[in-house]
Amino acid sequence: MSGEGAVRRLPILAVLAVAAVAAGAALILVLAAGSVRAAREHSSGAEARMAASLYEAPGVTEADVAEFLAGRGRILPATAGGPGPGAFGYRSGALEPAAWIAVQPAGGGSGWPWAASALGLFAAFAMSAWAAARRRSPPPARFPVAAALLSATLLALVAVAAGRWEQDELEAISRAHLDQGLSAAGMAHAAGAGPEEAARVAGLPWADDAALDEPDRLWTMPREVGAAIAAARPLPSAGRHRVAAGGAVYHGGSLQLRDRPASLHLVLLGYEETASAAVVLTAAAAGSALVVSLVLLLLPLASRPRALSRTLAAWGFLAPAGALLLLFTFGPLLYSLWISLHDWHLLDPAHPFTGLENYRSVLGDGAWWAAIRNTAVFTLHVPFAMAVALSLALLTRQSRRAIRWARLALFLPSITSVVAIAVVWKWLLNDGYGLANRALAAVGIAPVAWLSSPDTALVSLMVISVWMVVGYQMVVFQAGLAAIPRDWYDAARVDGASRWQRFRHITLPGLRHTLFFVLVTSVIGSFQVFGLVYVMTEGGPLGATDVAVYHIYREAWEFLRFGDAAAMSWVLFGVVFAATWLHFRLLERRGSHA
Amino acid sequence: MSLLVVACLVMAAPFGWMAATSLMGQLEVFGPGQLLPESPLWSNYPEALTAQPFARFFLNSLIFAAVVVAGQVATATTAGYAFARCDFPGRDNLFLLFLATMMVPAVIVLIPRFLMIEALGWIDTYQGLVSTELVSVWGIFLMRQYFRTLPRELEDAARVDGAGHWRIFRSVALPLAKPAVATLTLFAFIDAWKNFLWPLLVTRSMEMRVVEVGIAAFHSTYQINWPFQMAAGVVATLPIALLFLLTQRYFVRGIQLEGIR
Repeated sequence: MSGEGAVRRLPILAVLAVAAVAAGAALILVLAAGSVRAAREHSSGAEARMAASLYEAPGVTEADVAEFLAGRGRILPATAGGPGPGAFGYRSGALEPAAWIAVQPAGGGSGWPWAASALGLFAAFAMSAWAAARRRSPPPARFPVAAALLSATLLALVAVAAGRWEQDELEAISRAHLDQGLSAAGMAHAAGAGPEEAARVAGLPWADDAALDEPDRLWTMPREVGAAIAAARPLPSAGRHRVAAGGAVYHGGSLQLRDRPASLHLVLLGYEETASAAVVLTAAAAGSALVVSLVLLLLPLASRPRALSRTLAAWGFLAPAGALLLLFTFGPLLYSLWISLHDWHLLDPAHPFTGLENYRSVLGDGAWWAAIRNTAVFTLHVPFAMAVALSLALLTRQSRRAIRWARLALFLPSITSVVAIAVVWKWLLNDGYGLANRALAAVGIAPVAWLSSPDTALVSLMVISVWMVVGYQMVVFQAGLAAIPRDWYDAARVDGASRWQRFRHITLPGLRHTLFFVLVTSVIGSFQVFGLVYVMTEGGPLGATDVAVYHIYREAWEFLRFGDAAAMSWVLFGVVFAATWLHFRLLERRGSHA
Repeated sequence: MSLLVVACLVMAAPFGWMAATSLMGQLEVFGPGQLLPESPLWSNYPEALTAQPFARFFLNSLIFAAVVVAGQVATATTAGYAFARCDFPGRDNLFLLFLATMMVPAVIVLIPRFLMIEALGWIDTYQGLVSTELVSVWGIFLMRQYFRTLPRELEDAARVDGAGHWRIFRSVALPLAKPAVATLTLFAFIDAWKNFLWPLLVTRSMEMRVVEVGIAAFHSTYQINWPFQMAAGVVATLPIALLFLLTQRYFVRGIQLEGIR
């Protein structure tokens, strides 16, 4: 045991740690370079589009377009059959393609973060030098922690360097894109196009001075950007400027308009805002640091080969589930928290940080609280369902054959397709022709507006939900009942206990854990009801069945407000957590008396 | 006893009504006092099922469910074995961390998962459908509980023979855990088959729809053609009902394993 084993084992693990640092650094670099390449390709596509619009603009000759492209791209005749690989083509001409325009992804700058790579190399080198130095003396107990800290620091440095590089490159691409836009708009304008047509050739949000003076009527660029430009006037005459608005940075440029004392202003949301991979880089750095830490966690075991191999084996078994959970559950949890702190609209590439603003607006949103209230009311079906399920379980207790046959009829609703069930019930509760109202009519009762009245719709859904979950709960209760020893009942019967007394003092206490389990899982499940509402009522009528998950679904995928929706889902989590905690507190206290 | 019969009839009534309507004419269902079809209109089935590509929906559901089941069985048996039978620092805390995710409403991870799948360009693909669904913490819990009930002696015997953890897992523990694996398979299959919200979000084209999404879309297209919708419903329900009939005892055992802790 001891020093000798440790010295023997250390190199392998140290090599692994160094390799993990190197791999992490490489991942960060590749991600950064990839997002820069994607921005370059996007900007080349935009340039081809500009050239094509310019080509179509009245009064512009092919020579002008060639001048605009300035060697970055080529105009091919339509008969050329499209651009070759690696080029971005654009069809010009309304119906018949008059020409193809191919633009090579722009060069300029370096395509690879060399400085950050050097830093990464240095990091790997530093780690190995450090490990080699440690190798001579047996590692002290704090070795893994120090090594984890060192590697995390080195990876963070690489991520920062790569992020800086990426930022600079993206800014350069944004500037070039804006310059091309200005040049295209200028050419179109020189050839006789008005400001609006010229701006359309550039394909960028625009405003002229008149529009800037009347911000209320500004609709061709984000209003707050217009306000920021108006506030920054007078602008540098030929230069470009940067405008910070709405939490994002825009690149702006102006163009002197012919025979008017006014300018045309064009803006571009910087690529550094839209393509910046801060989240991805951070995740890569954190992931790499995690891997390194895992390797280093093994170091204390280095002196005990058996424990080490046992741990390695266990990690091997855990790897598939652990990696997937990390990627698709724990990672998304943090990501969701991050989204909830931003003004995140699916179609808007800028996601300005707004702190707790989403939570503030969600907590003050009456419609959201109505959805929470509807969900809470809906959850009240759980005790009813449990009562019915428990009675059924008691009824089927006597005969095994009854259990078998009852199970299919009772269980089917809880395992079949929710959507199919929802459609069936929608038909069954149809106002004019559904089975429910026909049955009522047969016994002379006036029809009920099951789903079409705000007073009854939620109750109808609750009834259906009881019908759906009863079979499942019954089977759980049957299992719980089977676990209560028979002799207790026999003893009670000898003592002359009535049926009710036996139920109250033997069955209920015996089922305590089962009841608790069913209650908690059913409540959590019922807080997440979605399919029934989606198919049957779409939250209506008048929002009477707008439940939490459906509300979040609409907020995110109908109104595309992901930030608000993420904040809502965390509020829902808070409510579910509070409800579960309350159950634990209340029932546990009651349990200690029993 | 008679109470039970009444309860069963009430519970089964919607299914009966579904089957009856599925055989009626389109206008017949709006007729007065009509509960059963005058003469069964079997042609509803082929017509409804070809009005939209239901065969494709079933194939998609089957692929989705099969891959999800395979993934969940693979991840749950391995992780469950590690938690039940391996000895490593931090095991119980890690297990608690896994279990804690069962308390988190699934809707929280929906948005980030969607954005991730979109960033990967996997919207409207099979890999986009399945990749987030390959682990079930409930499955890990189930397998752990089951592996813990297996007698240690079997393992020790294998270890004396020089078997490593992987050999023991594959040739001793896994074969003994067949009932639990069967239960997990069933539940994972049913859950995947019933999954509606996730496929709704990540599929766009008609060709990628699963049965659940297909029926929901069919419902909004054929609003008042109730016989067609009921025919589709019957066809969606039948496989699950058959599956349940054939595998009842695994279901019940699964619920018992889950419920009694």
